[in-house]
Order: sequence, then structure tokens, then C-alpha cells
Amino acid sequence: MQGYFNQIFAIVWKDFLTERKTRELFSSMFVFAVLVIIIFIFSVDLSITRANEVGPGVMWVAIFFSGAIGLNRSFMLEKENGCMQGLLLTPADRTAIYFGKLISNLGFLTLMEAFILPVFMVFFNIDILPHLFPLLLVIFLGTLGFCAIGTLLASLAANLKTRDIMLPILLYPLMVPIAIASVRMTGEILAGEPLSEMLNWMGLVVCFDFIFIGAAVMTIDHILEE
Amino acid sequence: MAEENSSKEISSSQGGLFWLTAGTMLAALIAIYVWVPTEKNEGIIQRVMYFHIPCAWLAFFAFFIVFVSSILFLWKKEREWDIYAHCSAEIGVIFCSLVLITGPIWARPVWGVWWVWDARLTSTLVLWLIYVAYLMLRGQTEAGSIRARYSAVVGIVGFLDIPLIHFSVLWWRTFHPKPKVISSEGLGKGMDPSMLITLGISLAAFTLLYCLLMGRRVALERTKDEIDRLKREKLYSS
Repeated sequence: MQGYFNQIFAIVWKDFLTERKTRELFSSMFVFAVLVIIIFIFSVDLSITRANEVGPGVMWVAIFFSGAIGLNRSFMLEKENGCMQGLLLTPADRTAIYFGKLISNLGFLTLMEAFILPVFMVFFNIDILPHLFPLLLVIFLGTLGFCAIGTLLASLAANLKTRDIMLPILLYPLMVPIAIASVRMTGEILAGEPLSEMLNWMGLVVCFDFIFIGAAVMTIDHILEE
Repeated sequence: MAEENSSKEISSSQGGLFWLTAGTMLAALIAIYVWVPTEKNEGIIQRVMYFHIPCAWLAFFAFFIVFVSSILFLWKKEREWDIYAHCSAEIGVIFCSLVLITGPIWARPVWGVWWVWDARLTSTLVLWLIYVAYLMLRGQTEAGSIRARYSAVVGIVGFLDIPLIHFSVLWWRTFHPKPKVISSEGLGKGMDPSMLITLGISLAAFTLLYCLLMGRRVALERTKDEIDRLKREKLYSS
């Protein structure tokens, strides 16, 4: 068991080291997310609609769009110079590779969210500080679900010729439940509702997370098989 | 020689199925357009139900077959299951499209709008998108083990997502009429018996149509495999 965690940690550490040297992924994800928010602000007239109602949707769209870039990138790096081959040749378990990638994707996306939340707060004039804890919980659960299914599909799409297009096409319809639940919960939290009012949504997201991590663990062997 | 015989057997059993399907289809058409009385509130447009519901049933059934075949493929790694999953997904997408087309035709006169973002409409649309993506994935990968494995994974994940999509859009909003055929009062209490019988015939006709299409499509895929095999044989032998 200790060895298994070491394998996962090694993959996560490798990804963070690469990112620290190149600094490609984080900057592109963050700038892209800010751009998505700005485009939405231009296309929705905030003087007519209430920021509280549009805001959560815009924030999650920015997270999902830039998240897809990050997912694509994480496996594209492995494809270059045959790194994936090397990774598969190591005695690491296939599920350890999945969890390693999942954790590093989750880490990058969470880091990006930490920077995008203040931007969101400023641009939409929404005070999120009183609701910070439930908001962070909802964002974490939603991001986990997104990364769970996203890492599985990205590992699959990486081997396709048209990976840039195929990943969003496969990913977005499948994460509709996460999108609806996260936007709904974020909206309700910003409106001041307590977490206990949205237990059904919470349950749905937790189910989503578990089902797709489970499905990934069971099927990843068949994808990472060369 | 033996191969010829078996192919003849397949075509003769397909012939029987073809006539059975044609007969049931004709009976369904007669029942829908001649026999069953027009619904009181909605009028003539209500007859689209006898196509709408069977198409929806067929699409869901086809996607279920994709799910089962995908699991069996990953388990047994036999090309046969891959063929079933592929053919069933194609048929499912066609009938899911038909549901999405007949739905607005029915909704326009009854609800006054073509489309509402109701639970069942939304989930059918999302389902359609998932399986269109599935077929695109198949189209973009070269034939072989990789394509079969990848599409099997998407086939499984896609079907697992259905209950989650269902609940999320259900809590999101819903306008669709409550199910009348299987309602809480008991099986078929919400409808006139003649309407139920017509719907039953129509469902039977569409299910037979699925079997027929599936048989033909699977045979086509096998022929393709056979041609590929022969091509390769000739190429390397010459």
C-alpha cells in the first residue's frame, strides 16, 4: 500500500516539477478563464440582470473551459517524446497513473480557481467572503467530478489524431449533471442558503464523483494498454 | 460450402423476421390511423404519440444494448461484442433523433412551443449528444483493438451517466406530462384500452424493427470484416 501511494506521489511530483519549469499550463489556463469571464460580461448586460443570477454560471463555464485545456495539455505532454511509453514501462499500476494524473489535474485546476475567485468577486461585485467555506466545498466537489471523468477521457483522447476537438465533445455532454448541480448550488450559496438546503444536489455530485472514479479505476487498464 | 449454407440460413431467418415486422408495422399503422379513436383534448396530433413513445423506448433499449455489449467486450475481448455495440449505437442515435423530431411536432400545437427545457427533453438531448460523440469517436479511430476498447469505455461511462443526468435535470425543472402508461395508479390506468392496445402494437412493431435493423447491420459489419480479411490475404500472398 505504501508503495502504491509512493507511485501516485511520484507522478504528481513529476507533473508539478514539469509545470514549475515550463509554466505553460497554469498561465494559459488562468488567462483563458479570465477571458471567458470578460467575454460573458460583454455578452450579458449586467445592468439588466442581477449579477447573483448570472455569476455562478459564468464562473463555472470559465472553470470548465479552462479545465478542458488543462486536461488536454496534461496528456499531450506525455505524448511528446514518448513519455507515456516510459510511464507505462515503469512497474507502476495503471490505476496509480490514473490517480496521479487525477490529483495533478485537480491540483492545477484548484490553484487556478484560487486565482479566478477573486477576479470573479471583483468583476461581478459579489461578496463571497461570508459564504467562503460552503462555496469552497461545492467548488471542490464539482472540480473533483470534472477531473475524475476528464482525466479518464483525456487519457483516451490523447491517442486520437483529433484530440483537441474530441475531448470537449466527449466530456461536455457527460458532465452535464456536474454543471447543473454546481451552478445551482453556487447560486443558492451566494443567495445565502445554508448547505443543508441543498443536500440532494450535494448527494448527486458526491455520487457522480464516486461513480466515475470507480468506472475509471475499472476501465483505465483497457485505455492505457499499448 | 458450409459457409454458404449458414449465410442462406441467416438470410431465410431474416426473411421471416422481415415479413413479421412488415405485418406488425402494417397492423400498427391501421390501428393508429383507422381503428383508435381521436383523443378528446389534443385532437389528431395526439396520434404522434404512437411513434414518439416507441422511438424513445427503442433508443433507450439500443443504448442499453451498447452498455451490455461494451462490458462484455472488455471482459471477453471478442470482436463480436464490438460489432453489436457499434450497430446498436447507430440504431439508437437514429431513433433518438426521431424522438427529438417528433417531440417538437407534438409539443407545438399542445404546449404552444416547439421546445421547453423540461427534464425529459433535456435528458434525451444530452443522451443524443453522448452517443453522437460515441459514434464520432468510432469514426475518428482506425479499426482495431484500440477503437473497440476506447468506444467500449465511452459506451459504459455514457450509460452510467444516464441516471445522474435524469435526476439533475429533473430537479432542475420539469413540465413533461407525468407518465400515463405506467402511472402510480397501476399499469395503463391513465389511458383508454384502445389507445393502450394501439401503443402496444406499435411498441411491438418497433421492437421487431430494431431486431431486423440490428440483424442487417451486424451482417453488413461482418461482411466488411470478411472483405478486409480477404484483401489482406491477397495483398500478402501476391
